Parts: sequence; structure tokens; C-alpha cells
Amino acid sequence: MKEKILIANRGEIALRIMEACEDLGVDYVVVYTKEDEESLHVRYAKEKYRICDYRDMNDLLAVADESGCTAVHPGYGFLSENFRFARRVVKRSRPLIFIGPSWEAIRDLGNKLFMKKLAKDLGIPVIPGTTEPVYNEIEAELKEEELLEELGSLGVQKPSLLVKAVAGGGGMGIEEVKSLEELRPTFRKIRAYAKRLFGDEGVIIEGKIPVFQHLEVQLLGSKHGEYVHFGTRNCTIQSPYKQKRIEIAPGFSYQETYSFDPKKVEEEIINYSIKLAKAFNYDSVGTWEWLVTPDGKFYLMEVNTRIQVENEISAKISFIENKQVNLIKEQIRVAFGEKLGYSQKDIEFKGTSIEYRLIAEDTKKGFIPLSGTITQISWPELPWLTMRTHVPQDKPYAIPTQFDPNLALAIVYGETFEETKKRGLTLLDQIIIQGITSDGKELKTNISFLKEKTEFLYKFLEA
Amino acid sequence: MKIEYEHLNVILQKFKANPYKIFKVNTIHTGYIREFLVKEGDEVKGPSGKWLEKPGTPLFVLEREKNLKTIRAHINGWVQNLRTDLLGRFVEAEETILEIKHPLSQQEIISEILLSALYLVKAPETAKYVLSPGLAAKIEKEGLHKVRIKKGDELLIMTFMKRETPILFKEDGVFLIYNIYFKPFQLVEREQPLIGLCPEEQLPYLEKIVSRIKEEWPI
Repeated sequence: MKEKILIANRGEIALRIMEACEDLGVDYVVVYTKEDEESLHVRYAKEKYRICDYRDMNDLLAVADESGCTAVHPGYGFLSENFRFARRVVKRSRPLIFIGPSWEAIRDLGNKLFMKKLAKDLGIPVIPGTTEPVYNEIEAELKEEELLEELGSLGVQKPSLLVKAVAGGGGMGIEEVKSLEELRPTFRKIRAYAKRLFGDEGVIIEGKIPVFQHLEVQLLGSKHGEYVHFGTRNCTIQSPYKQKRIEIAPGFSYQETYSFDPKKVEEEIINYSIKLAKAFNYDSVGTWEWLVTPDGKFYLMEVNTRIQVENEISAKISFIENKQVNLIKEQIRVAFGEKLGYSQKDIEFKGTSIEYRLIAEDTKKGFIPLSGTITQISWPELPWLTMRTHVPQDKPYAIPTQFDPNLALAIVYGETFEETKKRGLTLLDQIIIQGITSDGKELKTNISFLKEKTEFLYKFLEA
Repeated sequence: MKIEYEHLNVILQKFKANPYKIFKVNTIHTGYIREFLVKEGDEVKGPSGKWLEKPGTPLFVLEREKNLKTIRAHINGWVQNLRTDLLGRFVEAEETILEIKHPLSQQEIISEILLSALYLVKAPETAKYVLSPGLAAKIEKEGLHKVRIKKGDELLIMTFMKRETPILFKEDGVFLIYNIYFKPFQLVEREQPLIGLCPEEQLPYLEKIVSRIKEEWPI
């Protein structure tokens, strides 16, 4: 039977999945909500259905059945890391293929505390902290003392801790604690906040790594027990709210001077990532996120059991038989049970790639997201540039207010870091995004912020 | 803002000429239209009872993932433009299935006309809104037309692009909350009215307008 994929996502990732399907000769169906009617993913799809919400499992599965789909690609965000959705897709009376890892892997690796505990058991370094939710203040104080001592013994100057809501994420429900006196009120505050917002008052306490680089390992596993990696990415440049803004691959620069051997650290974090993937029979693309300190220590932070926004910079620097890889195509192929057809030694890494996230936001005023209408978006046609956007270039586009105001991804490739950086800055000077806010003012974007931060690529930054 | 009596007459005449509002009934999600429970021209009732505990007239049955859902009238009126051609077919979300021709009540006419007389706090963005908890509690305790607000008071919380943003009152002077035009967490289009306010000294004038409308529109 010919496979047909329901693309359960929107915007640029829906477009990238559509492109991968077309390259593989696989049929697909697109969904969209009323607010997204003008998005290019809707314009370019031959078969499409309007649904009530990208998070509504029933609507997605009803469309999958009606259109005769055999598989679901969740993209990123929305339901991509919801193990209940993945389980329902494969366990229903008309089962479908979930293009992602098994629902058990999503459940276990997505639970930060469980993942941390398991990683610890496997001897994988994780950020010092509690591996069970803490509910009472006395226990929290005892943990704090232990952790401050542990951080001190690791050589962290002026150690401090982060008190986090277990159910939180994306920078929500996190506060820093620098002394024992601060713990009780902070613990109470976060516990109350967690209960109010997430219905679960569990709190975790972790050591704060004051200066770091944020590295990612891009893995791919198949249903035949094969594992390869596509190197590392560096995602240290983020907004103050811990949202990524610029990513670069590979994760370390071979021209920078480090106080440690970057090749050795890279090899170790890749090996540890594969070790954890193997423990789960992980059989899809996935990203293992690490913090690396200036003295070369590294800690596993979390695992993203899906395709990442920034997957394409890894693909750009990975060559098999001199051809650049497409990780979305690889993800689809392995979900359909295909063998990889290559091994690690067949993957050659060449060049550097940078991704810029172009967003309508006011970087001078707390990175507030902006709504309005894009009247012009244009960029030069350049052989080393790949632009990914769902924003039409031929008519004004009203930014939907239900989603983040992401406008485009600019993916730049070069032979060396210096060349890629230069190309990136050239592009940022030439790219044009114009628009008006809903109250008639000029629409701001983060281009100036991206230009300024390009200079900080590969630097250790303070948290 | 004030409405002149002559202008009020014109507005009232306009409503008298066409005392109806058309409400579209759209599918709330995808699914198959399994059964129509009304026919063209049928009279339907919206939810009723003190707490709206009695549901509206059943209109049609939508089936999705083997679950049947009866879609009911949310307002009184008569059925028109019923899409019987959709029976047994799979429909997308937000598909219009029928319309309800709703006769405007006295209270609705008052509310519509006062849009021209009140100071309106409008939606700055297409977003979901909720009254700020403090203000909601005050209104519940004291009732409309009694709660005062001034510059800097938190009026609403807007859920927009996955962030919650407080909306503060920016005008000078003291105003009374006269009317609320939205339901909590309902998506409100930009520039649509959220709250109607009036300066305290204008309250008698507004009450005169309301009495006048009630005279002209007794039901």
C-alpha cells in the first residue's frame, strides 16, 4: 500500500515536511486552522482540511481517516512530544504510523526527572540536582545544602541554585536562590505558582551552571538497531527567556581556543547520547541537549524526541556520497521501517552552517511578540542561502495572534566559520522585512539583535 | 459621548425596520453530519433557566472518531439557509451549517445603542480576554454601574501569542463599568468592544436613554 502522511503542523515545518514527502514520492495531506488560511503551507498543498486546533487529536485523526492517511508527522511543538497522542496514533482500531520514536520513549525521555535518573544510572553526567520532586521545605533545605557543597566541589565559584516547577518549561516557574535564607520563601512561591498553573506543586532544585555553551547532539536511530549521529550544534545564543535565536553547526569551532580538547568533549557527549538512545531502542531523529562549561565539563539537560527547528544546519554539514542529508526524509524513511543504508563512517562533515530565526518581536522591550501585517519580505537569491518561510511574498500577510510570531528561518552555509559568519551578516544586511503593527506603527523584527549576537557565536555566555 | 435625541430616533427606526440579527451556526470541529434535527423555518430556543442550565434546541448531530455530538441552538430564533446537502458528508471545522434569524430583545437593543453612547475599551489585538481577577470580584460583589475605575487600574488580562499581558486603564478621570461585551476566554477580534464605561456624571443621562428605548421597544 502506498503511504500517505497527515502533516499535523503548520507554517515552515509543514512546508519542509511537504517537500520531503514530494522528494520521497509519498502523498500527504495538510491541515490548517482558520487563522492560517493565508499561510503558504495551505496555498501549496493539493489536499487540505480546516481543523479547529492543531492540538486537537480527534480532529487530526478524523482527517487522517477521511483522507486515507497511513501515517502522521507531528513536526515540532504542538503534539510532537505528547506520548498520549503517539500512543493513540499507533494503538487505535485503524492504527497509523507515528513518524517519531515509540510512545514509550517519548514518555520516558520527556519526563525530565525520570530521564535524569536513568541517565545517572547509566553513568551519564547530568546537572547536579534532585531526581525526585520535592514537596516539603525541610527536605528542600537539606537538598540545598548538599547541592551547594557538590557545586563547590566541582569548582563552581559563588554557586547558586535554580528552584523549578517540575511541570514547568520554556523558562516558566524558575527562580534563582543564592543563599540558605532565600530558599524557603522562593520554594513556597514556586510551589504555589506550580500548583496554580500546572496543578502539580512538585518542585525540583538544580545547580545553576553560571557560564556555559549549549550544545546539541543530532541522532538518528532505525527500527533495525542502527544508530548514527549528524554531529553537534551550538545553540547558546538565546533570548533572555531561553528561546533559541541563532544556532550553528558544528557545535565547536575548530579555530577557537578552548581550555579543553573540544574534539574529545564532542566525542564523549555523542557517545553518551547514543548510550542513552540505545537504552530506549530509540528509532527516529532526536536531539540530546548538553551544557558545556568553560573547563570542559558537560551535563545532559534534556532530550527532544522530535525533529528540531534547527535540524537543517546539521543536515547542511553532513554529506553521504557527497550529497547533503535531509533529516526529515531520513525521519520518514525510518518510520516506514527502512534500513538506513549507510553507517557512521559514510557520513562526512564539511563546512559550517548558521540558522537565524527571524521573528517579529521587540528585543528592546522584553522581547515582546508583535502582531501586525507583513507588507514586504524579501531576500537575495544566493547559492549558500536556504530560506524557510510560510509568509507569502506576493501579498500582505497578517501574523496570526494565536502562535509565536516566527516569520522565517535563514540557513546559511560556508566552508569555514569565518566565511559563514560573513555570509550571515551580509544576508542580515540585505534581508527586508517590513510591516505595520496592529496599531499602525512600524513592525519591529529581531534582525539587529541577530546581527549583534552573531559576534558571540562559539563564546561561553553567562546564564 | 452623547447621542442626540434626534439621532436616537433614527437609530431606533433603523432597528424597527429590521429587528433581527443573523447568527451563523458553524461546526465546532470536523466530522460527519449524521442527522438534522430541525428544518428550514423552525423556531429554536437558546439556553434558558436561571443559570442557563436548560440547553438550547438540538440542531444537528456531528460524528467524529465514533463520538456523536448534538449541536444545539445558542440563541432564540428561526432556522434559515439549512445546508441539507451536507447530510452524511464529512465537513471541516468552521463550516456554516445553518443560520438563526434572531429577533433582537429589548436588552440587546439597549446594548447595541449604548455602543454609541459609552466610552469603549476595545480589543487591542485579536486575542482571548478575561477580566482582571480583582475587577471581576468587585463587579460580582457590587454589580455593574457601581464599580469605579481610574487611570492605572488593571482592567483585563489578554492572552496573546502564548503570553498573558495585563491591560491597564489609560484615561484620566473616574469611570463606571456600564457593560461587558465579551465572554471570558472567548476569542475577540481586534477593535471589537470589550467593556463599556461612562463617567459617573453621565449615568442619569444614560438612564434617560435607556428609559426612552424601553418606551419605544416595550418587549
